[in-house]
Amino acid sequence: MRWRYPLSVVGALNLFFGLTMIFPLGYGLFHQDQSVVPLMLSTIITLVSGLLIYLVFRSDKSEVISQREGMAIVALGWTSVSLFGALPFYLAPGGCSFTDAFFESVSGFTTTGASILTNIEETPRGLLMWRSYIQWLGGMGIIVLSVAILPFLGVGGMQLYKAEVPTPVPDKLRPRIRDTAMVLWKVYALFTVGEVIMLLLGGMTLFDALCHAFTTMPTGGFSTKNASIAHFNNVYFDVTISVFMILAGINFSLHYQLLRGRPLAVWRDSECRFFLGAAALLTIIVAADIHGNIYPTIAEALRYGLFQVVSIVTTTGYATADYEQWPALSQLILLLCMFLGASAGSTGGGMKCLRIMLVFKYSYKELFSLIHPRAVKHVKLGGKVVPEDVMHSVLGFLTLYMGLFAIASVLLAAMGVDFITAFAAVAATLGNVGPGFGMVGPVENYAQVPTLGKWLLSWCMLLGRLEIYTMVILLVPEFWRK
Amino acid sequence: MKIIIVGAGQVGYHIASRLALENKDVVVIDKNADAIKRVADDLDVQTIIGSGSSPDALHEAGVGDAEILLAVTDSDESNLVACLVADMLSPSTKKLARVRGADFDQYHDAFRQNVPHIDTIINPEIEVVKTIDRLMSVPGAADVGEFADGRIKFVGVYLDETCRLAGVQLMDLPNRFGKDRPLIAAVMRDDELIIPGGQDRLLPGDLVYFISEADKLSETLSKFDKYIEPVRRVLVIGAGRIGFRLAKLLEEKSIYCKVIEKHADRCQYLAERLNKAVVLHGDGSDQGLLAEENIKEIDVVITLTNDEETNILASLLAMRMGASKSITKISKFSYFQLMSTIGIKQVVSTRLSAINTILQHIRRGKVLSAISLKSEEAEVIEAVALETSEIVAKPLRRVSFPKGAMVAGIMRQENIIIPTGDTVIEPNDRIIVFARKEAITGIEKILAVKLEYF
Repeated sequence: MRWRYPLSVVGALNLFFGLTMIFPLGYGLFHQDQSVVPLMLSTIITLVSGLLIYLVFRSDKSEVISQREGMAIVALGWTSVSLFGALPFYLAPGGCSFTDAFFESVSGFTTTGASILTNIEETPRGLLMWRSYIQWLGGMGIIVLSVAILPFLGVGGMQLYKAEVPTPVPDKLRPRIRDTAMVLWKVYALFTVGEVIMLLLGGMTLFDALCHAFTTMPTGGFSTKNASIAHFNNVYFDVTISVFMILAGINFSLHYQLLRGRPLAVWRDSECRFFLGAAALLTIIVAADIHGNIYPTIAEALRYGLFQVVSIVTTTGYATADYEQWPALSQLILLLCMFLGASAGSTGGGMKCLRIMLVFKYSYKELFSLIHPRAVKHVKLGGKVVPEDVMHSVLGFLTLYMGLFAIASVLLAAMGVDFITAFAAVAATLGNVGPGFGMVGPVENYAQVPTLGKWLLSWCMLLGRLEIYTMVILLVPEFWRK
Repeated sequence: MKIIIVGAGQVGYHIASRLALENKDVVVIDKNADAIKRVADDLDVQTIIGSGSSPDALHEAGVGDAEILLAVTDSDESNLVACLVADMLSPSTKKLARVRGADFDQYHDAFRQNVPHIDTIINPEIEVVKTIDRLMSVPGAADVGEFADGRIKFVGVYLDETCRLAGVQLMDLPNRFGKDRPLIAAVMRDDELIIPGGQDRLLPGDLVYFISEADKLSETLSKFDKYIEPVRRVLVIGAGRIGFRLAKLLEEKSIYCKVIEKHADRCQYLAERLNKAVVLHGDGSDQGLLAEENIKEIDVVITLTNDEETNILASLLAMRMGASKSITKISKFSYFQLMSTIGIKQVVSTRLSAINTILQHIRRGKVLSAISLKSEEAEVIEAVALETSEIVAKPLRRVSFPKGAMVAGIMRQENIIIPTGDTVIEPNDRIIVFARKEAITGIEKILAVKLEYF
C-alpha cells in the first residue's frame, strides 16, 4: 500500500470540497447573517489545507489505484471532509463544542439527520443552509461527484466508486464510470429541482423549500424547524415529501431507465417491487394500529402512518408525529424498518432491501435443500443467478452489521445511556435514519448523549453510509501490512 | 423427381428408404464412407461420398434439376451451409434443413425470407416435446396425432382385458353407441397392422387407432374405459435438449416438475435457466433417489436420457415404484415391437418425429399432413379430395381402394363424417386415409394427385 498518491487524492478531494462551499457562503453573504464569518473562515481553512495536503503528496502522474488504496481514500476522504464540514458549526457565534460540531457534520454528510442543535429556528440561515447542503452532497456521494467532475480521477475512479457505492450487484449504466457518476448526479439534481418546485407550489418559502429538497432527496432528514415537517401541519407537504422520499429510496439507475422512457424497467425490478410492497404493507399495518386510539379518522391514520413508515424505511428521519406515543406494534415495525432500509443504489441507508431479499432467498434455498437433498438450486434475482461470492459478501455484510450493532449498543450502554436509547441510537445512526427511540426519539435529539457516545455514533454513521466494509477494513491489521 | 439428402445418419437413411420405396430418385451425400456404404448396400439410391456443403458434391448430385434438398446431418452448421451453397447453385430447389439449436427457434422465418432461403426448418426435438405433451394429455394413449390444425385427433389406445369393447365385433358398434360410435381406423395386433372390417373383433391387447374430434375426445375415450385426468406432477429423467425444452413447457403450463440429471454441469445449467422446476442431481435409476422424491405421487415419469436401455429400465422401475404412467424415449426402431411385451405403452422417438415432420413438410400441395404410425408400418394422410379424382361422386364401396388402405374420416366444412360404404365424398372434402406402407402408391393414384412433393 502506497501512501503518497492516496493522500494527494484526499487533498484534492478537500480542495474540491472547499470550492463547493462557495454556494452556502454566497447564500450567507446574500442574507448578511451571522453565518458569513464562520462560513468564510471554514472555506478558506478547507481550501488552504486541501491545497497543502495535495501539494505535499503530489506526484507527477496519475496512477492506477488498487482496491485497497481506493478504500483508504474513500474512508479518509469522508473523515476529513466531515472534519472540515464541522468548522462552520464550531466557529459560529455561540457555537458548540467540537464534538457536537463534528457529530452534526458527520450526521449531515452521511445523510443521517441526527442533530445536536436544540433550537434550530434560532440558528443563522446560512448555517441551516450549510447543514442541508452537506446532506445533499453526501446523499449521492462526494466521491461519486468527484469522479464525475474531476478528470484526474478517471483512472482509479472505478475503485473509488466501488468503495463508496458498494451495492451487492453493481449497475454500470454507461461503459465509463465517469459517465455513470455524471448520469446519477444529473438524475439526483433533476429530482431535487422537481421537489423544490413542488414545495414552492404548495406555498413554502424558497429557503425552506430548498433546504427540505436538499435533505429529502439524499434521505437525510435535517429540517429547518424544531418540530420537523410537523411544523407545517399541511397534507400537501406531507404527501409531496412522502412521494419524494419514496423516489429517493428507489435505485437511481431505475430512475435513469424511467427518464429514458423505459418505465417498465422499474416494475420489472424485483427489489423495487419488494421495497414498494414492503412500504405499502407496513403502512397499512401501522395505519390500522394507530387508527382509533391515536387518530380518529382513517384518513389521518393513513397520513401519519404513511409519512412515518416512509420516513423511517427510506432512512430519511423526518417526523410529523411523535411515534413514541404509538402502540408497541407500530413502534416495533418502525424499529425494524431502520434495519430494512431502502433499495440498493438509492440514497437511503439501512441494510438495504436487496440484501434482505437475498438472505431470505438464500434461507429458502437452504430449507429447500433439506427437503430435496439432491436438488441443484441457485439463488436468483429477477431470473438471473446470483453468484456465490456475491451471496457470501451479503451474508458477511449482515453478520458484520449485526455484530457492530451489538458491540456499539453495548458500548453506548456502558457509557450510562439507558437500554432503549442505546439500542435505538445505534440502530438509527448505523442505518443513517436519524431519530430513534427513548432519549433520541423524534421530538428529542442527540444533545444529551455523552461526549464519547457522540464519537461512537459518528463512527456508526460513517460505517452505515459506506456500508461497513470500507470503514471497518481500516481496523483489520492485514490492511496495514506491507 | 429428384431429391438430394445430405447426411446419411439415421434420419437420412430412413427418409431415403421411404422415398426410394415410393420410386423417387434419391441422391444421398455424406462424408462418412461407412454410412454411405450402408445406404448403398440397402437402398436403391445414388450415393456420393463428400461434404454436403461442397459445391462439387452438390453439382455431382445434380442439384440443378433437384426439386428438394434435405439437409439432415447431425450438425446444424453443416446443414445451414449445405442449404446456403445449394441456394447459390440452384435457387429453385426447395430446401429443408434440420436445425436443433434452441437459439435458432426465433429465426426460422428469417431463414426462409433471407439467404439461404430455407423453405422449412425442422427441429424434431420440438416435435418430440409436442408429442409428449399430447401423450400426457390423453391417458392410456400409445400414439396421438393431430389433423385439421388440431381439431381432429387420432389416437391409439391399448385395449385392456376389462374394457367393455374387448371381444366386440365392429359391426356391433352402431347398435351399442348409435351415431356416437368411436371411429376405429386401424388395429395393430401382434405387430400386424389390420384395417378392420365389420366382421373383425377387437381383442384385449390390441392397439386400436381411432379418430375423434378434439372436443369430443374425452367422451370417446370413456368408451374405451379411459378417463382424462389432469397431469399435476411430472418427473423428467435425463435433461438433454428435449428434457430442458419439456421442463420449460411444463413450467409455462404450471405443472409441477422435477428433473433428474446425471451430470453436475448440466444440472447447474438447468438450475440457472429453470425457475420453478426442481433440478435434482443423480441417477434416474437410483431407487433411493426416486423414493426420496416421492415417486408414488408422480403422475407421469418421462425418461429422456440418451441411452435407451436406461430409459426403458428407469421407466419400468418408476412404474414399479408407484408412478401412474411413463413415457419412454427410444430411438431404435427394432425395440418398438418389444415395448408392449415388457409393459411400456407410451413411447416417443426423435427419429420417428423427424421422419414424420419431414414427410409432413415434403408432402405439400393437396396432401395436408402425413403421420407415420408406430414402427413405420403405416401412414395416416390428410388430403383434399379433388374433383378429378376417382374417389368423389360415388359411394365409397364402389371406389376401388388399394388393399390395406381405408378412408377413416371425412371433414366437410366443420363437420366430421364417419364414412360407411354408402358415403359419397364430395369435391373439396378433407379426407383422412389410413394406409399401409405398400398401399401408399395406390393411394397416390386414387387421389388423382401425385403425392406432390411441393
